[in-house]
Amino acid sequence: MPIQYYIYLALSLFSIGVVGVLTRRNAIIIFMCIELMLNATNLLLVAFSKMHHAVALASNTATQVGIEGQLFVFFIMVVAAAEVSVGLAIIVMMYRNTHSVDINFLNRLKN
Amino acid sequence: MNNLVFLVPLFPLIGFLINGLGRKSLAKQAIGAIGSASILASFVVSIILFLQVKSSGAIIANYFNFIDVASLKIPFAFQIDQLSSLFLLIITGIGFLIHLYSTAYMTDEEAPHYARYFAYLNLFVFSMLLLVMGGNYVIMFIGWEGVGLCSYLLIGFWFKNDAYNYAAKKAFIMNRIGDLGFLLAVFWLINKLGTVTYGEVFANIGKLSHQDITIITALLFVGAMGKSAQLPLYTWLPDAMAGPTPVSALIHAATMVTAGIYMVSRSNLLYTLAPATQGFIAIIGLATALFAATIALKQNDIKKVLAYSTVSQLGYMFLGLGVGAYTGAVFHVMTHAFFKALLFLGAGSVIHAMHHEQDIRKMGGLKKYLPITNITFLLGCLAIAGVPPFSGFFSKDEILAAAYEKNPILYFLGVAGALMTTFYMFRLYAMTFLGKFRGTHEQEHHLHESPSAMTIPLTVLAILAVVGGFIGIPEVFAKDSHWLESFLAPVFAGSKALTEQKVSSHSTELMMMGVVTGLVLVTIAITWNKFSKYEATTTEETGLGKVLENKWYIDELYNAIVVNPLDALAGFFKNVIEKSGIDGIVNGVGTFINYSSRQLRLIQSGQVGAYILMMVLSMLGILLLWINDSTIVHFLHKIF
Amino acid sequence: MNAIILSALCGVVMMFSGILLKNKSAIKYVAIAALLVLIIGNLFQFYGIYTIDIDSKGLLSFDRTGLFFNTIIFVATLAYFILSGSDIERAGPDVAEYFALIFFVLCGVTILTSFNGLLMFFIGIEILSIPLYILTGSDKKNLKSNEASLKYFLMGSFSTGILLMGITLIYGATGSFGLQSTTIKSAVTGFSSAGILAPVGLVLLFISMCFKVSAAPFHFWAPDVYDGAPSVFTSFMATIVKAAGFFAFIKLFAAKSEDFGPGPAWKLILFVIIVATLFIGNITAVFQQSVKRMLAYSSIAQAGFMLFALYSTNDFTKDGILLYTAAYSFATIGIFSILTKMEDYSLDGFNGLSKSQPVLAFTNTVFFLSLSGIPLTAGFFAKYYMLASAIKGGGSLSLVIIAVLFAAVSVYYYFKVIQAMYFKEGVAATNTPITGNFKVALIVLAAIIVILGIYPTALLGFYYF
Repeated sequence: MPIQYYIYLALSLFSIGVVGVLTRRNAIIIFMCIELMLNATNLLLVAFSKMHHAVALASNTATQVGIEGQLFVFFIMVVAAAEVSVGLAIIVMMYRNTHSVDINFLNRLKN
Repeated sequence: MNNLVFLVPLFPLIGFLINGLGRKSLAKQAIGAIGSASILASFVVSIILFLQVKSSGAIIANYFNFIDVASLKIPFAFQIDQLSSLFLLIITGIGFLIHLYSTAYMTDEEAPHYARYFAYLNLFVFSMLLLVMGGNYVIMFIGWEGVGLCSYLLIGFWFKNDAYNYAAKKAFIMNRIGDLGFLLAVFWLINKLGTVTYGEVFANIGKLSHQDITIITALLFVGAMGKSAQLPLYTWLPDAMAGPTPVSALIHAATMVTAGIYMVSRSNLLYTLAPATQGFIAIIGLATALFAATIALKQNDIKKVLAYSTVSQLGYMFLGLGVGAYTGAVFHVMTHAFFKALLFLGAGSVIHAMHHEQDIRKMGGLKKYLPITNITFLLGCLAIAGVPPFSGFFSKDEILAAAYEKNPILYFLGVAGALMTTFYMFRLYAMTFLGKFRGTHEQEHHLHESPSAMTIPLTVLAILAVVGGFIGIPEVFAKDSHWLESFLAPVFAGSKALTEQKVSSHSTELMMMGVVTGLVLVTIAITWNKFSKYEATTTEETGLGKVLENKWYIDELYNAIVVNPLDALAGFFKNVIEKSGIDGIVNGVGTFINYSSRQLRLIQSGQVGAYILMMVLSMLGILLLWINDSTIVHFLHKIF
Repeated sequence: MNAIILSALCGVVMMFSGILLKNKSAIKYVAIAALLVLIIGNLFQFYGIYTIDIDSKGLLSFDRTGLFFNTIIFVATLAYFILSGSDIERAGPDVAEYFALIFFVLCGVTILTSFNGLLMFFIGIEILSIPLYILTGSDKKNLKSNEASLKYFLMGSFSTGILLMGITLIYGATGSFGLQSTTIKSAVTGFSSAGILAPVGLVLLFISMCFKVSAAPFHFWAPDVYDGAPSVFTSFMATIVKAAGFFAFIKLFAAKSEDFGPGPAWKLILFVIIVATLFIGNITAVFQQSVKRMLAYSSIAQAGFMLFALYSTNDFTKDGILLYTAAYSFATIGIFSILTKMEDYSLDGFNGLSKSQPVLAFTNTVFFLSLSGIPLTAGFFAKYYMLASAIKGGGSLSLVIIAVLFAAVSVYYYFKVIQAMYFKEGVAATNTPITGNFKVALIVLAAIIVILGIYPTALLGFYYF
């Protein structure tokens, strides 16, 4: 499959994530949209990785070019996991105090 | 030895800090001792440095980079060569004597003010040392400003008197006018050469055009005019007599006012290459010498006479610089420091005895009450009048001889000034010490010789004033007898190589000396005779006498042509332009910023969604900017 | 390498010290000791005495600038521990964890000063950011703290998404995460808009870094987060973290800016961002009544000045950013350490401080003077170097003029505090008694700022020699 299909798919997922962040009010859903953005990049990274690998493979069968893209994906997953644990803890803390996860109630700090 | 250099200014700085910070808690004896001892310590180090320089040449001590911006590097460096080591000795030596003198003279002050006085005086010595020790024009400028500040503080020492404050302000402002010239010269140098270190400037002098050198030297001389009280910026110096008398002796006679001469002789190579500036200096110097001498003829305040005499003598020094007699000028700085400090301290002793009476018409006959002061003062007068073999004779003669070689007219006018000097000095002496006492009985009852802390400095200075001239005996009398010239030769070598030596025959020189000495002696005799019989009269002076008594109305003239128009202009600015124009704009800007602040705050709505939306929109904006850059850039470049 | 390993270890040590030690101030002293070990370890590498050598396969590279920057950051942190350590103790029950998180942030900083590729860059940014979300929300019962934490987290993760998309696009175009690779790989040339991948990626990367250093118009999180977070942690975030963000930003774009090409668009974008940052930071700060919130806006304004380092890269830039980091961090740490001691954070809370606490008022004045860039304080030379670099690098004079005008505006709101302390009547109350040690530490900090203001090469001298 040509690389641009992957690019369009990933960008669409990314845009869906961005739009979701912009339109939703529930903190958890916003957070899920952000995860969607991260996963869009993961997908794109893997696609690029495979692409670069395939090009290098043509000239050298033992090449390892391109594997760093997939490596990066693992790092992103680890970091995302750390972010999830912290983020959910913050949302839970918020919920305990206000009994709500609606971000429109976050307006004590302004101006 | 290099590591000793920084000690010289360090001691006075320490003295300043101790006295300045401890002024409320220290006892008077301690204050006086700290103040004087710090200068004595500097003096001792100065002697060591002097011997070092004498035996092995100049010392340059680099400490750190004071300013290091791009290609401009200004090191914090001291340069101790023949010239500055000589000045070090004068400053610390005479400075110490005057500190000693002050311990007795200022004894009526309360402890905090006494400490304030010594702190200022130490700070002054510190700044003056920076001025002469600095290895470049910037360090010199720091000292230059520092002495100006101390001068201001000390003139206004008795700050409860409005007139004194006014005098202090006048001195400061006149100096600032000159300082501007100095500063512009330094900028010019930086711009053209990229360095202000003496050695580098003189080594790269060839890179400067003739015009540059003329402008730089002229601007530097403007600085010297302010600091060394030359026409037309001299009027602050007579008013500066408002300060305590030892201050007048140290700052306004022996050291600070000679800073201009130091600076010009330090830059002698520049000046030698700028004959136009040199001619200008000679003319200004001579004019000042004569002009101030005429005013001194008719002054009745003991310190004012000495002040005008200082202005006049400084004029002589500049005449010397102007005709290329750098050694002579430095020589005269030194001898003048001896006898003028002596005369001021003697005057201080008289004022002390007379309970702050300064009018010589109310003195007279003090000879028998103040024997030591009398003798030393007389020696000082003989020295300044240039009677051989007193010190003034040699130094003044050297300047006049150089002037003769340049142009006989300069010489004859100089001699006329010297005769006037003799006249007013002996008028001063005779009216003060000879004849009958003209003061009140109560004053006469209290007359007494000053304490030893005051008479010892007088004696030391008197000895120096008498013998100080022997370090520079002219070639006429013996070959290679001019020790000072050979000592200072390395400093002025560059200039000397550039000027052709024109030596008048020894017989002419001897004849001139003889005639001048004769005339001086005759003037002394006439003056002595006339003023020892002085009786107070009430008749007002008329004609020229009145003009002279009023100092040629120069202060009034300055008020009319400079101060009053400026006042009027300032009034216009204040009442019209500032009120309606500037205030309006400033307040308008303030109101506008306050208003925008209040509106801009509202963007920060507190809603996360709104924040992220704005971020995304800005992101898209930047991407658009990136893609369509050419048209937008074109448009923006038209604006900016 | 020393600093990375030691800072992570120190963080672990701090976590255990919370279990082993029950005395809160003992924990503080352990933290200070650990930090000293960290500083020494870093200096060992700086002076080449001993380096823990682990082959990072070219992912990390150490240079003098980065190591020196580490030192500045660690010393600033030391000042922060000494001045605000007792406030950290009061921030909540889990003192040891706070210190541990701070050490993890420092670990992120050390990675950001030595990354040699986008992978380590990303990891450094995340190690730096995640502990901060926790620190911001450490005052669990305080709704403002909660809100700040959640806002920070949501916006921070969002910007992480942007950052990752940027990195991915660059990787797609160049086939490498290295800093220097700029050639577009042939693999993507078949794609019709292939040439746009790398530039768009770089713009996205740039935008996410603008977010991290709170440059307008990506600054919206900063005022709210700085205001809502416990003051001690605001102090840390506004100084050390922000400076590290800048360092990474400059390190990254000094290597990458060629990709933007020499065209004017790159400078134009920066021009717009710098002006917007200066404008929003300075103007909005004017009207703030809370000193804490005013400082938040002021930190945005200061970011505008630091962005000058990106505008033109020349020999002034590196000196400038090092000096700016030191000047800005020291002054702000000092101000915040005083602020946290105040009962009332509003401007009126400072009324008459010069009467009740002359030392605090005086040192605070020095700090504010430095922030506004008055000569004889470090802030002056910091600003001077920044402006000089902008002029020198064939830069824009109009930009410098705008910056100077806004610096004048900044004097206005900084002096409002000084005015309150010295010229207004009132009884400025502190929430804890002020100890002698605290005053001494403040005076030392103020003295450092003045010394750097008279003799800035004192700091840079360490760097060059």
